[in-house]
Order: sequence, then structure tokens, then C-alpha cells
Amino acid sequence: MKVDTFQSEADIPRRFGWIGPFLEGWSIFKQSLLGKIGLTLLIIFAVMALCSFIPPLINPMYNPMTGVDPEITHSTGPSWRHWLGTDFMGRDIFSQLLAGARVAFMVGVSAAVMSIFLGTSIGMTAGYMGSFVDTLLMRLADMIMVMPTLLVVLILSSVFGQLNIWTIVVIIALFRWPGVSRIIRGQTLSLKQRSFVEAAKVAGASHLGIIIRHIMPNVLPLAFLFMTFRVTSAIIIEAALAFLGFGDPGTVSWGMMLQWVWKTGHMFQAPYWLLPPGICISLITLSFYMLGRAMDEVLDPRLRKEDQGA
Amino acid sequence: MELRKYIARRLVQIIVIFFVILTVLFLLFRLAPGDPVSRMVDPDMTPEDSEYLIAQLGLDQPIWVQYIIYIKNFFVGQFGYSFHYGEPVVKIIWDRLPNTILLFTTAIILSALVGVFLGKIASWHKGKKTDAGMTIGALVTHTLFLPWLALIMIWVFGFKLGWFPINGMVSEEVWLDPDSGFVAKALDVIHHMILPLATLFLIHFGAYLLIMRSSMLETLKEDYILTARAKGLEEKVIRDHHAAPNAALPVVTSVGLSLAFSINGGALTETVFTWPGIGRELVFSVSHNDYPLAQASFLLIAIVVLISNLVVDVLYAYLDPRIRY
Repeated sequence: MKVDTFQSEADIPRRFGWIGPFLEGWSIFKQSLLGKIGLTLLIIFAVMALCSFIPPLINPMYNPMTGVDPEITHSTGPSWRHWLGTDFMGRDIFSQLLAGARVAFMVGVSAAVMSIFLGTSIGMTAGYMGSFVDTLLMRLADMIMVMPTLLVVLILSSVFGQLNIWTIVVIIALFRWPGVSRIIRGQTLSLKQRSFVEAAKVAGASHLGIIIRHIMPNVLPLAFLFMTFRVTSAIIIEAALAFLGFGDPGTVSWGMMLQWVWKTGHMFQAPYWLLPPGICISLITLSFYMLGRAMDEVLDPRLRKEDQGA
Repeated sequence: MELRKYIARRLVQIIVIFFVILTVLFLLFRLAPGDPVSRMVDPDMTPEDSEYLIAQLGLDQPIWVQYIIYIKNFFVGQFGYSFHYGEPVVKIIWDRLPNTILLFTTAIILSALVGVFLGKIASWHKGKKTDAGMTIGALVTHTLFLPWLALIMIWVFGFKLGWFPINGMVSEEVWLDPDSGFVAKALDVIHHMILPLATLFLIHFGAYLLIMRSSMLETLKEDYILTARAKGLEEKVIRDHHAAPNAALPVVTSVGLSLAFSINGGALTETVFTWPGIGRELVFSVSHNDYPLAQASFLLIAIVVLISNLVVDVLYAYLDPRIRY
């Protein structure tokens, strides 16, 4: 019974396109409290990111990076003029926080898309080709998987000097694909044995054609699930890197804000400066995590059963 | 016998992986843009000293000779001299290694034990308030941003309340005092260790709790649990002796899989609390362009990661007799 549901669900994209399963998934998703909280939080962060363009338009002193309030020479607490106070140079913390949301989405989503693309293609190739290619790719995955990404980026920045934000994103993506590729490979191995793949082979479809038309639609939902987890790990790595002082100096990220509080020694005097960026990083991580768990329930009927409770 | 073969095979794999890392690091430091000599030899050295070091590291030789010298130097423990400390790199990292192992293994073992224990309880009270509270608590603490949590810990417990020292691993007045015995010194280290330990613990136990909880729920559906119930065994016995040991296995796997994540966290914790460990040394050396120290710290961390992975694999094979590779 359980197995049946799963198989038919995996086959749906092939037969009905994307709309059907999406609506079905959405109705399951809506029942999950975690999913709803996560999505709400994410929408708030997305609004913050969109609003980040507004403060600098109101007054140039609200520019998160270069705007300095001429009347302020040290860090001050919240006021009407500066809702969350200012940093040690008189820059507005609230506009920095908004800009940080934009950077977090930018870093998280682009690194996740890249690493999921890598992981999915490598996983499908390894699973479909089998034998030597499979062994080689999976050993490579094992090797990269055990490397602590943050420290790898650190050592790279020691050799290549200051890295800009896009280089950081690419490096994160290059080191975060193995987990996805393993799952996708497993899925591909089982799909390969299915009759529709056999049929396509008999009908004379090329390997690439089979991968793109018959394997990919069936593994994409899983890849999509992993994307939420990759977004969080990319955001955390970038934030940690910026916190340690190796971020892109031209970007205002939440990690960078924490680095400024910490390095200028304001952490004991300026809670209005220390608290917001940390809360934002933690909450955005939490919301993507909750979203991931809710999507897990959509994709894996066994979890759904379990949570409805026996 | 089987187990021994398995360990031997994993060991070979790990040695291969390590050689790849060693080689990549070599290529990175020699072939990256810029002058490799300036990365290996302290610019402040006297000309004689630097010539001696260039000859010793083979920096005037063709690249493949350099590679052989590099491998040889690795095995005799010659990593050059730290620019910042002016001491042999190997001495510095041997000094720091025990501190890292002390903090890191204590944190991982403690959070795994507590996570398993609480996960067991949460699954037992499935759907009730205890369960919901624990699950939410685990989710929230697990997703806290580690460096920020560390700063908050310092702010609250170190600064506001003043209960714990906020940096370092020892206090001078205890360790320089000839009268203080072993117990006083040990207590001093523990006093310094509580905040970093608590930080790492809070970040990690949630993940183990969640895994244990869902694994426990799966296990409770197994036939042998039904059998145990049918035999009329006490619920507590079923939970603790029949279900929990099997359910804890995925936690062991996840400790292994999340090691890379934990090592990142370890380095961040050490840096914020100025705990004199390898992770902090790596961060410090990278920000001070101390290349020999950065390279050696990274290698040592890679070794630590690989060996801990092996330990986790062996532990898993040992704990689960059904698994034979």
C-alpha cells in the first residue's frame, strides 16, 4: 500500500506534467505547521530583502555601506532617526540588516542552485553509467564530503587573498554537492531498472535522452528538497566566513555586521547591534530547515503517515 | 575477522584520500599566483637563514623534486617555521592538538549521549507536550548561528553574570603558582571549558535528538517490539533494552556524516573563546598570512577528520552485527 503510493507519485511528473503533483503537494504542505511557519518567516525575509533598496533612496545616510550620519561619531542606540541604532561609524543598522537579507538570499539561493545542479548531474551520471565512472565519482564525493567547507574556503583565501562574494558562492557550491549526488545516484539506480527506461532503450533512445527525459523528471523533486538544506548551509558558511573577517569587504552581510560588533569591541555595550544580525541568521536557517522538513513530508509518504499519528 | 578486513580496507581508502589532500595542498601553495618562496620563507629572515630554508624545502629545484622533498618533509615532521611565532610549525601544532581534542570530543560525545537520551523520551511521548517542546527546542538550538551564540554566552555568563572566564584555557595565577596541585589546575581548565563546551553542545544535541526520535519511531513499528509486548515485558524494558540500542545506530552514522560541520563549528568556537586549539590557529594563521602554519594546521585538521570518520565507521560496524562490509 505504502509502496504503491510512492511509485505512482514518482511516476506522476512523467504522465501529467508538473501542475498535478504541485497542487497535490501544496495541499499536503498546507497541513504542516512547520511548513507554514517556515514559509511565513521566509516571506518576511524576502520582503526585507526587497525593501533593502528603499532606505538609501530616502536619504544617502541610510546607505548600508557608505552612508554615514554626519551628526553621529560613535555607536548609538535605537531612535526615530535610526530604528536599530547606528554602528561605530554612524551607519544605520536597520538598513544594514535589510541589505543583509538580500545578500543572504543571493548567496544561499545561487550556491544552492549551483550545488544541486552539480550534485544532480553527477549523481545521475554515476548511477546511470555504473561501473568505473560510478566508482570514480562516488570516491570523489566521499573525499569532498569529509572536508569542512568553511576551513577549505579559509585555506583558499589564504592562498588567493581576499575572495569576492561570487567566488565564495562558487567554492561553496563546488564543495557541497556530494550529499545530493549520493541520494540522486541511489534513486537513479532504482529508476534504471524500471520498465519505462527499458522501453525507451528498446525504442532506441540515446543515453543522454533517457537521462534527461526519463530519469531527470523523477529525481528532480528530491533534488528540490535538498535545495532548501543547501541554501541554509551556504548562508551559514558565508556568514561564518564574514564573521571571521574573510568575507567580501564590499558586501554588507549579517556575518559581516557581527564581525564589526565583535572586532570593534562593542558586544558588551551595544545589544541593539549584536542581537539583530544573529537573530536574523538563526531565523532564516530555521525557516529553510522547517520548509525542508515540510517538503520532506510531501515527498515521502512514510513520514506523512507517521506524523498523522497511529 | 571480517571486521578486521573492513577496517584494513577503510584504512587504505583513508590513506589514499590523505595523499590526494596532501598533493592538492602542495599544488595550491606552489602554483597559485604569486611567489611561492614568499609563502614558504619568512620575509623577515636573515638572508643566510632564508637561503638555508630554501635549500631545505627545495624551492630552487624543479617542481617534481620539490614534491618529493615535500612528501619526505611531511613524514619527518618538517613543516618549516611559523612566520608569526618564529618557532617550528610542528611544535606549535603538537601543542594545540590536545586542547582541540579535549574540547571537541567532549562536546561531541556529550551531545550525542544527551541527544539519544532526550530523543528516546521525545519519541516515547510522541504527540504530547513533552515531544513538541523537545522537537521545537532541538530545531531552534540546532539552527542558532554558532559564533553569535558564542558571543551571547560570553556576554551573558562571562560579562553580565561573571560566572566564567571569557577567554583562554587557563588562568595564569593558578598555573604559575607553584603551590597549586593537579586538581586545582584541572578545575581551572574545566572552568574555562564550560562556556565553549556549552556552545558546541547546544548546537549539536538537537540534531542527534531529532534523528534519535524519528529512528525510535521507526523501530517501535518493528515486529520484534510487538513480540516483546506480547511477551508481557514492561514498557520501560522494551524502550531501553529492545528499541533504543537499535534506534541509536543512525545517530552514530550521523555523527560521522556531520563531522565536517562539527569541525567548522569547533574552529569558530575556539576562535571566539580564544581556546588555544588547531582551529583557532588556522584562522589566526590565515589572517596573519602565516602560510606554513596555515598549511600544517589544515593538514592536521584533515587527519583528525579522516581518523574520526574511521573511528565512527568501525564503531558502527562493531555495534551493528547485521552490517558486514
